[in-house]
Amino acid sequence: MKSLSFRWQLTLFILMICGVTLSLALVGLYLYDVRQFNAEIESRLEKTRFLMVENLTPLLEQNPEATDLQLGALGVDSQIAAAALYTPDNKLLARYMRPGAHEFIPPPPKVFQKPIFDTHRLVAWSPIVSNNKTIGLLYLKAAESEADKDRFKDLIKLALIIFSSAAFLAITVAFRLGGRFTQPITELAHVATTVQRTHDYTERVQSSASGEIGELIESFNAMLQTVQTKTSELEQARETAEGAKDQLEEANRTLEARVEDRTKLLAKAVKDAEEASKAKSSFLAKMSHELRTPLNAIIGYSEILREDAVDEGDTRTADDLDKVLNAARHLLGLINDVLDISKIEAGKMELYLETFDLAKTINEVIATASPLVAKKGNTLTLDCPPDIGSMHADATKLRQMLLNLLSNASKFTEKGTITLKLSRLPDGQSIEFAVIDTGIGMSPEQLTRLFQAFSQADASTTSKYGGTGLGLAISKQFAQMMQGDITVQSAAGQGSTFTIRLPATVEIKKPKIVNQASHRLTRSPFVEKRPKILVIDDDKDIRVVISEILDQSGYEVFTAGSGQQGLDLAVQMIPNLIILDIMMPGMDGWTVLTKLQNKPALADVPVIILSGASGLEMAMSLGAAAVLFKPIDANQLTAEIAAQLAPLPSSFILLVEDDADSRTLITRLLDGEGWSSRAAINGNAALRIMKLGTPAMIILDLKMSGMNGFELLEVIGKNPEWKKIPVVVVTSMDLTSDMRDYLTPRTVGILLKGRFSREDLIGSIRRSISTAALTPT
Amino acid sequence: MPKILLVEDNEMNRDMLTRRLEKRGYTIVIAVDGGAGVTLAKSELPDLILMDMSLPVLDGWDATKQVKSDPATANIPVIALTAHAMEGDRQKALGAGCDDFDTKPVELNRLLLKIEDLLKKFPPKPKA
Repeated sequence: MKSLSFRWQLTLFILMICGVTLSLALVGLYLYDVRQFNAEIESRLEKTRFLMVENLTPLLEQNPEATDLQLGALGVDSQIAAAALYTPDNKLLARYMRPGAHEFIPPPPKVFQKPIFDTHRLVAWSPIVSNNKTIGLLYLKAAESEADKDRFKDLIKLALIIFSSAAFLAITVAFRLGGRFTQPITELAHVATTVQRTHDYTERVQSSASGEIGELIESFNAMLQTVQTKTSELEQARETAEGAKDQLEEANRTLEARVEDRTKLLAKAVKDAEEASKAKSSFLAKMSHELRTPLNAIIGYSEILREDAVDEGDTRTADDLDKVLNAARHLLGLINDVLDISKIEAGKMELYLETFDLAKTINEVIATASPLVAKKGNTLTLDCPPDIGSMHADATKLRQMLLNLLSNASKFTEKGTITLKLSRLPDGQSIEFAVIDTGIGMSPEQLTRLFQAFSQADASTTSKYGGTGLGLAISKQFAQMMQGDITVQSAAGQGSTFTIRLPATVEIKKPKIVNQASHRLTRSPFVEKRPKILVIDDDKDIRVVISEILDQSGYEVFTAGSGQQGLDLAVQMIPNLIILDIMMPGMDGWTVLTKLQNKPALADVPVIILSGASGLEMAMSLGAAAVLFKPIDANQLTAEIAAQLAPLPSSFILLVEDDADSRTLITRLLDGEGWSSRAAINGNAALRIMKLGTPAMIILDLKMSGMNGFELLEVIGKNPEWKKIPVVVVTSMDLTSDMRDYLTPRTVGILLKGRFSREDLIGSIRRSISTAALTPT
Repeated sequence: MPKILLVEDNEMNRDMLTRRLEKRGYTIVIAVDGGAGVTLAKSELPDLILMDMSLPVLDGWDATKQVKSDPATANIPVIALTAHAMEGDRQKALGAGCDDFDTKPVELNRLLLKIEDLLKKFPPKPKA
């Protein structure tokens, strides 16, 4: 039934009701008719019996044995099928049969007193009585006549005709009516199917149906209208979103292009700077040589001329030549100072340690300084214990320092005493050289600027006393290079005391590594395999020391003595980590780093930069994983390597922060809460970590060298998986409303450095991640 | 008077030193490159050699090494003359066997002290 259409269902239903009703009516009618007919037959049978009894009684009275009795008169009644007359002794006197009928005349019943009327068989037995004496027995049987049969046939025909007509009518009506009811529903169903198939929500059910169906269709059309509106809105939104996505992608491309441009510019700037630096160094070296050669000639020939003049007694010429010589020597001193300071600044000043006899060296110094000191009427005294012995240091630099101090003292002292006092300190480990003058002294304010390069106590001092003002800065650097220092005590008008303190034995130092003997090295995070580390440094000592440390810590170490060699080796072996020195001859560390970043196979290898005091920003911009300053602490180095190589925890917080102190602070805080974390110095380093594993959340600083917080957020926004990571911004930036608008949809919290408490941060983190998602460390 | 071999390629330096040392009574023999220096050291057997380090043909370090490795000249004291800018040279000079060094530009009094010191240590042998 279900597969039939509603229209057919309706038609069948009507038809069924029609059929049942008509059938019931016809059956009722028929039953009624039969009953009427039977009653009629009965009544006629009774009448006929009565008549026959009345007629036969006299006849039988006359002749009880009359065999010629005729029953033929019965033929007038077509309903009498058979008749018979018996004598009381059951002798058949007469009988009648309807023509054409085959009836069986039964024998009379044994005993009966009154007429038997078998209505069921329409049979009647009737005694014929005369004077209370039964003289005969009449049998009558009625049956439907031919006419009656025809009448029933006609009845059935009529019933069939009525039934058929009714059925036809029912079907027609059902169809017409059904059409009226079902057409809208069918249309509705059709439209619904079409909409479902084509998703064309502009379709409408066209129908004038009223009532509930009308309402249904109206509702359906309204629903379609709503769906159509929503769909078009959705479509618009999608288009807008796609447009936005395109814009975003475009913006990202622009950003990438900008980053790339910037990286190129930076690389170029680095190269330019490097070239400029090289050019500067070579220029200085060349200039100093070029300046020295003619100066040598000037000084040399002036001295010859002066000697000749003195020999010839030409004092005037000798005096003039003295002036030339002084000026030339002064010029030479200036050149030497400038060269020294530039070498120190470039980190190229080296120590040449030797063991020398102090007394001899000091005597040379005194001999050299004496004429200088004597010039202004000063007395030079030496206060030196006879058993001062020898020391192990850079004698040339010590000489230069002492001469510088003595020369300064004599410049600022007139007709006074300058004392050079040597002493071995009680511990026997250090030697002090004090230059004590009775000169003009210095104010505290002047003292503060004393050791700064290009800054004499007073700008006017240069013109009055000469000198570059570099001497003290150079001396201080020399002293510090030899693990010592220069200090000063002075008061205006009370003279000055400059004290050089140096170790008696200056160590052949591994200046770039300390703590190498420490047993607190962090071991490799891998037990089975030894991660491969490539060390690129031009200093052989550094390579040896780092190799030893890393070998002890569980790494396989490869070394390269130059940038180019390092690059070649890196390409061949693809190390797990690279340690890169910055100051190298030939290809420097910056260039190596840039080239590494440009090689796809090596771009993700973490690079730890070994740097001098400067260059942190540059290293970070170029994508270094970490920057360690020389001298390098072995603990720090191994800890950093282990941190870089350690497998990521299954769940961790990524801390992106360029400030080492903040990084340590926040990492400790997270540790304290039992949260695993990873630190990255900027966006580039963060991305390198994120490529290895998605963090549970990110704590992000905004202002960083290299890829900053905003740029990192841009990149994160592009990646559907990363986009879900909650980000808490921790910044010291003054955020503009534009920045806040940008950050608000991309982050779950913004904390201002110095203004948030430990609880604020922990709370922010708790809110953004389920604690269960983080594995306690 | 003591004989000094001056190995120096720069003409002015050579001229100045020669004149000033001769004036103080030294006999000066001149070589303009390292190779000539080694040859002259053997043939002249000077009492002292003043050796510039940056020399053409054979540099001062190699020349000193050759002088010091030849028994005939090994005992001749050598003073290396190095440029101020090249401090590493000094160390190399001592490594090569120089007995002392001084920086250029030459400060004559200091150099004279060193020469006299060394001549005291290595007294000139009476010439055969």
